[in-house]
Amino acid sequence: MSDPRLGRLADVVVGYSTGVQPGDVVRIDGNRPSTPLIREIYRAAVRAGGHPTAELLIDETAEDLLREGSDAQLDWVPFDVRWNAEHGDVWIAIDAPENTKYLSGIDPARMARRVKGREAYQAQVLERFARGEFRWVLCGYPTEASAQDAGMSLAQFEELVYRAAFLDAEDPVGAWQEFGDRLERIGSLLDAASELRVVGEDTDLTLGVEGRSWIRSNGIANLPDGEVFTGPVETSVEGTIRFSFPAMVRGRSADGVVLRLEAGEVVEATARRGEDFLRHMIGIDDGARRVGEFAFGLNDEVQDYTGSLLLDEKIGGTIHLALGRSIPQTGGENVSALHWDMVCDLRRGGEVYADGELVYRDGAFLNGAG
Amino acid sequence: MRDPRVEKLADLITGYSLGLGEGQAFRIDGEESAIPLVASMYRFALRRGALPYIHVRPAGLEGILVAEGNDEQLGYISESEQQQSEQLDAWATIWSTSNTRAMTRADPERRRHQLAAHYRMVNRRWERISAGELAWCGTLFPTEAHAQDAEMSLAEYEDFVYGACHVRPDDDPIAHWESTSAELAARARQLETVRELRMVGPDTDLRVVVEGRPWLPSDGRHNMPDGEVFTSPVESGTEGDIYFAFPSIFQGREVEDVRLRFSQGRVVQAEASSGEDYLRALIATDEGSSVLGEVAFGLNYEIDRFTRDILFDEKIGGTMHVALGGGFSEAGTQNTSDLHWDLICDLREEGEVYADGALVWKAGAFVTEAAVEHV
Repeated sequence: MSDPRLGRLADVVVGYSTGVQPGDVVRIDGNRPSTPLIREIYRAAVRAGGHPTAELLIDETAEDLLREGSDAQLDWVPFDVRWNAEHGDVWIAIDAPENTKYLSGIDPARMARRVKGREAYQAQVLERFARGEFRWVLCGYPTEASAQDAGMSLAQFEELVYRAAFLDAEDPVGAWQEFGDRLERIGSLLDAASELRVVGEDTDLTLGVEGRSWIRSNGIANLPDGEVFTGPVETSVEGTIRFSFPAMVRGRSADGVVLRLEAGEVVEATARRGEDFLRHMIGIDDGARRVGEFAFGLNDEVQDYTGSLLLDEKIGGTIHLALGRSIPQTGGENVSALHWDMVCDLRRGGEVYADGELVYRDGAFLNGAG
Repeated sequence: MRDPRVEKLADLITGYSLGLGEGQAFRIDGEESAIPLVASMYRFALRRGALPYIHVRPAGLEGILVAEGNDEQLGYISESEQQQSEQLDAWATIWSTSNTRAMTRADPERRRHQLAAHYRMVNRRWERISAGELAWCGTLFPTEAHAQDAEMSLAEYEDFVYGACHVRPDDDPIAHWESTSAELAARARQLETVRELRMVGPDTDLRVVVEGRPWLPSDGRHNMPDGEVFTSPVESGTEGDIYFAFPSIFQGREVEDVRLRFSQGRVVQAEASSGEDYLRALIATDEGSSVLGEVAFGLNYEIDRFTRDILFDEKIGGTMHVALGGGFSEAGTQNTSDLHWDLICDLREEGEVYADGALVWKAGAFVTEAAVEHV
């Protein structure tokens, strides 16, 4: 019998995050371990009147492409993936790693090439999403590999993920809507700010955010979710930031990353481990050296670093920024093939100032805004 | 560790069967259980410079759709699929399942509705395959479920499958299939000189008119394994009786001991020891479903037993099969039907086939080359 939590998760994904309507063409894809969840989401999509198709992603083929593919092969976007980006109504992507480090042995230059080759396709997905023509969600599914990274058993990690997705609540959708009220209070506070300054250990960074929109992310594009984010003014970011957690992207990571930015551009990038990979990724294009996203993690159900970005960037009391492409709804204009989120923990002594006024300390908003 | 036979099979299909080349868009379809072969084919396709992608489905989704979908959903034809049918250069289908009977108890009416939409969807694909614009090959990846149907262990069944494909460690698959291809082509040319075939065997004496119809060799391009020559007979010419000693299976349901009597091309009497109602319902599907769309010789002698899978059974060396329903345009058929049901007639023990009165086949094999050339 399948885990009853999967049916609840599927109901949130289909009924709330993507709001599948009769006649919607729905693509569901996920790594191999996610088959039980794919089946429940497929069922929920059929019940909602949609036309679902499901695709299992195989790590071995992704690895072979990166290892052996020519430039033309690396750059190619398959017909079904392209059709989905151009015409699909809903895309439900499930992140369920079998091995989070399976691409560690791949030449970073080839990974960069692959990312660059998919730029136009990625941009199209985000633009249609921003225009409301396309609904998209990235949903986490607990696997042994991610439990191992989090340093716990699969059963414990499942508890964590499902709690963070509010499946413990009697009415998970109601819980996400209510959580949205809290994000709204924080969002309105940030809407009024023109400049933010983040201060923490080895960190003192200022960002211009005037005229940019803060998106309240309450279970729509990610699940679990819980953040408020924007795209900072491209030329405004100045200072230094040290990231607390390993920066993961596409089956690889860089640890102990420190960035120094001037006039919005990374001028110095170091890492304790994976510096070569870091340099390759930020060398993909001009936009990869600029900040495309700045966000506050606000999900208090996630407390500890897990090694899964989907969870870590939501940890209540952290901020994260992404190098590369901005999300169109924020008003961000940075263009890049890259979008690489890196998380900074502000729970011990961190501060954020909005136009000179202290608004956030030790991982929490002050004056009841949080 | 990768099974070297899977690697050889993937190499054979991407190379010999599909002839993949630089820049060709190539899709690989399979169920979850076929992943080892999907991954190998993908790798060999990359090495040939093609642009491969995979379509791997979790098991059980079709059952959900048929059980819970409304009419509109059951009849839905994916626009993306149709577009891919136009765009692709090559396509591989890997049949592989963890349960061959998963759909057996589905509501028959709803299942028919869903399959009809599926067939409409793949129509265009078949047009392009027939026209030679799209290379296609269907194969099977062995699972416990297929082994169980064949009444073997998985290890025995793997030996059987890879033996039939000639991809065992010491085999030279390409040399084998190239020489088989030449032999089958020669056989087809000989058969094209025949006006009428007469099959004689246990409870069987059937005349089939094949005059003017092209015979086609099945030489490992569209199926792997392969090994038959076939045509579509003249629609009105079939006369007499035929008995099928193997169970006849259509969409997972078995009919045993099928006996058919033909007159002026049509089935006029149909009996079975079990599943007779199903047999009669299938024959009554439409106008074309009581007429033969195919007659063929099974010539893969590595396939020496019945396994409840038509990919293998129709090629059992020493058998003949006929199909009720739609025929092949390449073979000059006039018969159309939603049905195409292959029924296999075992001629290995005491069967004989006469071509325009001359004995050309006895006890499961064409008689001496001299006699065949005489044909």
